[in-house]
Amino acid sequence: MRIAFRKGRNSFCVKGLLQPERGETKSIMWENFSEAIYLNFIKDDRWKYYTDGLKVTLIITLFAVLLGVVIGLVVGTIRATHERTHKLKFCNFLCGIYLTVIRGTPVVVQLMIIFYIILASARNKIPVAVLAFGINSGAYVAEIFRSGIMSIDNGQMEAGRSLGFNYIQTMWYVIMPQAFKNVLPALCNEFIALLKETSVSGYIALQDLTKAGDIVRSRTFNPFFPLLTVAAIYLVCVIVLTQGVKLLERRLRQSEH
Amino acid sequence: MSIEEGKPLIQVKGLGKAFGKTQVLKDISVDIHKGDVVFVVGPSGSGKSTFLRCLNRLEEPTEGNIYFEGVDILDKGTDIDRHRQKMGMVFQSFNLFPHMTILKNLTIAPMKLQKKSREEAEGAAMELLARVGLADRAEAYPSQLSGGQKQRIAIVRALCMKPDVMLFDEPTSALDPEMVGEVLNVMRDLARDKMTMVVVTHEMGFAREIATRVMFMDGGNFVEEAPPEEFFGNPKNDRLKSFLSKVL
Repeated sequence: MRIAFRKGRNSFCVKGLLQPERGETKSIMWENFSEAIYLNFIKDDRWKYYTDGLKVTLIITLFAVLLGVVIGLVVGTIRATHERTHKLKFCNFLCGIYLTVIRGTPVVVQLMIIFYIILASARNKIPVAVLAFGINSGAYVAEIFRSGIMSIDNGQMEAGRSLGFNYIQTMWYVIMPQAFKNVLPALCNEFIALLKETSVSGYIALQDLTKAGDIVRSRTFNPFFPLLTVAAIYLVCVIVLTQGVKLLERRLRQSEH
Repeated sequence: MSIEEGKPLIQVKGLGKAFGKTQVLKDISVDIHKGDVVFVVGPSGSGKSTFLRCLNRLEEPTEGNIYFEGVDILDKGTDIDRHRQKMGMVFQSFNLFPHMTILKNLTIAPMKLQKKSREEAEGAAMELLARVGLADRAEAYPSQLSGGQKQRIAIVRALCMKPDVMLFDEPTSALDPEMVGEVLNVMRDLARDKMTMVVVTHEMGFAREIATRVMFMDGGNFVEEAPPEEFFGNPKNDRLKSFLSKVL
């Protein structure tokens, strides 16, 4: 801290222009570094931007994932049921429109449409973002679940039905657990994509992690540290998520010795 | 549900099934009584499996009626799921649930559908497992079993629902020859216990041994049916004669 105070806030502008003596190089680099840490994290409690932003990002991601899985489960099941039995024609038609529209337009545009047009009177932006990202993710999750259901041999459905389970019960007890296991890697992919996609939340002035870095950058006039910090935090989140899914996968594979 | 004495357990009347324009089953009428062990044989593509699958509506018949325990199960108002609980089915490809242990495979339907307690369901399952000689595999997963063991488990899974009739769809066709015997033994025990059975199979020797009636299907209908001695010893229909000369 002492160094930072002494050097003042101009040190970074000087960097590169000064030609320090050989012996001094190391100490100047260190001084610049600690100065940067001070400016980017400590001054005015700027670290709080990152932690608050991360909190917003994680909250949006978590609830959007939940919403996406619910939508995806319903839509995917309807699509697979139609494919197998040719029933639910109308529902399948509606789901088809949903998939086409959602997958055919950028998520930023969807986010803004929901914020500025559909829910223009909304005061709390986080639920708006959850809704937008959840609806968006649901379309992709639906296709993942549909392919998962279709990957299960029809004999499983027949075995379940022959025991007296109805269609939904067989789906729930027999097909879904197997389908879920098959699509877990694809689902994990989708969740990682979703986590990173929430970085466009700044478009509706939500202070998520990316926006937080942006705010700090605009205060320090130095993009290097805020952006790398933000990138590193995303990376850690994704690694944690990936490892978690790996663990779950291993547990689910128990039945395949 | 008790049935009146002498009334058939399953009564098929004018059953027909078409896939698009292809008529697979034509005007089939059959009575199956309690304790019957009916074997359905015939050339491949003759409609045997389709007939069997129509009995529990895994295949939706396009015409006719099927009365099971006095109820028309083809009627739109019939709750087919409830009646299926009383009709066990065994598939050529076993179709065990690979994500569950053997014990879970056996108990899930009784627990969820008949609201049995875990203890009750597991007790009944273990008893049946012991009878087919697989009590030590209760905690295994299907992928750890041989084909013959899987099929025995599949039979037990159906039996756990205490069905009134068992439908077998080529139960030994997917098995290695040395595993056929163990499955037939289980079926033999069932027949001895007076279980009503409808069996689609190519095991002629087995049909001769335990069937009470053998029916020959050709071209979507039964062209001959008789007790096994007569069926195999003194066939009348020409097509049956030529079929038997090829397979025996």
